[in-house]
Amino acid sequence: MVSLVLVSHSRSLAEGLRDMVAQVAGDSVPIAIAGGTEDGRLGTSAPAILDAIRSVDRPEGVLVLLDLGSAALSLEMALEELTSGERERVVVSQAPLVEGAVLAGVQASLDADIATVAEAAASAASMTKLPR
Amino acid sequence: MPEIRLTVVDPAGLHARPAARFVQLASRFASRIVLRHDGREADAKSLISMLGLAVRPQGEISLAADGPDADQALASLAEELGPFVMPVTGRP
Repeated sequence: MVSLVLVSHSRSLAEGLRDMVAQVAGDSVPIAIAGGTEDGRLGTSAPAILDAIRSVDRPEGVLVLLDLGSAALSLEMALEELTSGERERVVVSQAPLVEGAVLAGVQASLDADIATVAEAAASAASMTKLPR
Repeated sequence: MPEIRLTVVDPAGLHARPAARFVQLASRFASRIVLRHDGREADAKSLISMLGLAVRPQGEISLAADGPDADQALASLAEELGPFVMPVTGRP
């Protein structure tokens, strides 16, 4: 099963989102989080992201979802540390974090391949909030 | 194509958790399964498609399946929806 890595500036946001995805998608989907800096402040940490990716690395692939700003920079630094074998299994999603994680989680729970899970996450960008 | 009509009675409508369960169950069947609401149609195997219907409490939905296991799929899905819905026919 494809796994997810949730990257956020806030540890509590990442933890809350992990809970939410687990409740909607079921707890079969492996999810790792990297939220906040190592000393507990708001921010992102390349080593924490690297650890999170490696903790759920698997042959089926890892989809990484991130919030904004420097999360991208930290993620790039983490990706550079991966071996080429590890890097091939990691896909970075362009999706908005919350909706993307929920849609990806449900798709992963269906044992879909990484391309399908990434596609489900990407579709989050077009989700409506209140119907117009 | 067998079809059943249901009313969503959950006070939150067809929200994310039941919709996700529904998608997970629908994906186990070979049949094409659609959920219709308010003139629109959603693929029952896609969460974004299902959530896009934005079914409100007391909204009427119809569930249709087409394929080798259509009848079985509809029976299982109706059972899964359980407390979230009630049949349209048989209401007082």
